[in-house]
Amino acid sequence: MSLNAKSVQKDFPRAGKNSNVFTAVHPIDFNLQPGKIIEITGRSGSGKSTLLNMLSGILKPTSGQVLLDGTDLYTLDDNELSRLRNKNIGLIPQGHTALLGLSILENVMLPAILYSSSPAPRDRAMELLTQVRLEEMANEKPNELSGGELRRMAVARALLMSSQYILADEPTAGLDEENILSVMNLLRKTADNGSAVLLVTHEQEAARFADEILTMDGGRFI
Amino acid sequence: MLTLKNLPVKNLNSYPGRTIAMLIFAGLMSAAVFGGMLIIRGLRQGLESVQSRLGADILVTPEDADNDFDAQTFLIQAEPGYFYMDASKLDQIRAVEGVETASPQMFLASATSSCCSAKLQIIAFDPDTDFTIQPWIRETFHGAQKLGKMDVIVGANVTVYDDHILRLYNNDCRVIGQFAPTGYSLDNAVYTDFETIKVLITSSFDTKLNKYQPFNTEDVISSVLVRVKNGYDAGDVANKIKNSVSGLNTTATKSMVSKIADSLSSISTSVHVFTIVILFVGALMTILIFLMMINERTREFASLRAMGASRNILSYIVIGEAVFINLLGGLIGIIASAVVIIGFSGVIREKLGIGFTPPSPRHIIIPAFFGIVVALLAAVAACLAAVKRVNRLDVSLVLKEGE
Ligand SMILES: Nc1ncnc2c1ncn2[C@@H]1O[C@H](COP(=O)(O)OP(=O)(O)O)[C@@H](O)[C@H]1O
Ligand SMILES: [Mg+2]
Repeated sequence: MSLNAKSVQKDFPRAGKNSNVFTAVHPIDFNLQPGKIIEITGRSGSGKSTLLNMLSGILKPTSGQVLLDGTDLYTLDDNELSRLRNKNIGLIPQGHTALLGLSILENVMLPAILYSSSPAPRDRAMELLTQVRLEEMANEKPNELSGGELRRMAVARALLMSSQYILADEPTAGLDEENILSVMNLLRKTADNGSAVLLVTHEQEAARFADEILTMDGGRFI
Repeated sequence: MLTLKNLPVKNLNSYPGRTIAMLIFAGLMSAAVFGGMLIIRGLRQGLESVQSRLGADILVTPEDADNDFDAQTFLIQAEPGYFYMDASKLDQIRAVEGVETASPQMFLASATSSCCSAKLQIIAFDPDTDFTIQPWIRETFHGAQKLGKMDVIVGANVTVYDDHILRLYNNDCRVIGQFAPTGYSLDNAVYTDFETIKVLITSSFDTKLNKYQPFNTEDVISSVLVRVKNGYDAGDVANKIKNSVSGLNTTATKSMVSKIADSLSSISTSVHVFTIVILFVGALMTILIFLMMINERTREFASLRAMGASRNILSYIVIGEAVFINLLGGLIGIIASAVVIIGFSGVIREKLGIGFTPPSPRHIIIPAFFGIVVALLAAVAACLAAVKRVNRLDVSLVLKEGE
């Protein structure tokens, strides 16, 4: 069981200057380990999200490979990759990710119904909502929630499938002290249960929950 | 319950404005196709039945009946009328060159008074010579129906109660059958034979409700229906009748019907143009509104991708939303237009000035099918662009942008 990045690199075309590229992530080797939280910090624009997105299967590296149990994610076709990601990778992207037509509870249950016709796991979803302290909001629509509450909803959703890999991009952004603690505790518990967690954060407090801390700058680990 | 199947419908909850706008356009499209087909069909059917019902080439009426008979409006005007001429005219008409068959009819109108069930046009035919009403009876009742004394057959618009008795000038007439609708004034009439109408006319004198002075019913007729011989022109024969027999008016029935046919073809042209405009505007708006809605939701679709939804699932959601809206809108359009057309067929007939037969349930199915198909085609067109759009999403970039 492993998720490895093998010299992944990402270039973006530089706006304005034609035919010139900007390397957001220089070739990096990187492994996630079961039971561990690996934290990546670094200045804004240092390439943290780019690396995390490549690992999660939604951003194809310019070169290098991302291997899940030995399979290069980016050689799979869309159906195979999507199913694999749905089952194995819990992704907490940056920003808001709610579907406005669904309740908070339904939003959390969403990953479970994409490929399965068995009833949505209501109990599991409620349990996670309780752990991120949103149980009262379960039947509200996303429009009625604050940004911080929607971040916590995204955390609950990413943990729903009990995936082997949890990739969290600033999951505590915009949260108050108390909620940062409950989210970090939840991620810690998830790692203790055997998942491999990648945590991208600015939060100083996160450090004491992490097993290993890496810092990025200019697209490299330093 | 949350399932992938009902996800498209749940998604639409959060976009009520756009959803309703799309429903309206889908409804307009299906209503235009469905309603247009029904109206044209109803008009054609009316024309066909009136053509076969008239069955004669020339209609001869007394000259002094002008106030009671107008060939232009006879077929669409519901107001009953009656007039008489000397029965001897019949033989004179038969003697005119080119006349093959001439059959007399007698008219009477019942009154709005306690003596009668309702104010109705009564038309009597001569069973020995009639060639218009009896074929109609044979066709409707498959030959089995025979008019006995005081028996009548009624048009489609005549109300008949359970006892099958129609009271006409204090006579109980037995209703032995009812014709299918033609959409024309023929539907408002009561049909019987000479023997019965003579009794009714005599009773109308007894009740003093006839506008004429009492006369011997054996001596009069109201009109004569003429069929011309092969090789003769109906117009020419009509002129000959007019010139050789005094006190008559003649109308070539072809000219009555051809006026109707003319207005029918101009109405159906308008209906077609109108339908095409609605379809064009409706399809365009459906595509635009749907694309706008999908565009506004790129972040939702990117989020679905982030949790592992494949492109196929995204396509399913997009198609499901469009198909659901347009199926529902199409159904609403069809129901609304069916209610309007059936409920207001009288008004439609009046406004169009030609006969219109409201459709039977059996005839609703095919236009309804086409109405739904048109709404669905618009959904498919909207999906073609929208599916492309969601499948080309740069998930990582979209999720970054929304911050
Ligand atoms: N889709 C993209 N197109 C162009 N440039 C991008 C894109 N995504 C990220 N970048 C650039 O790559 C660099 C790293 O971005 P990112 O990984 O989001 O940084 P971080 O998450 O560490 O703040 C930034 O300079 C950013 O502007
Ligand atoms: Mg970032």
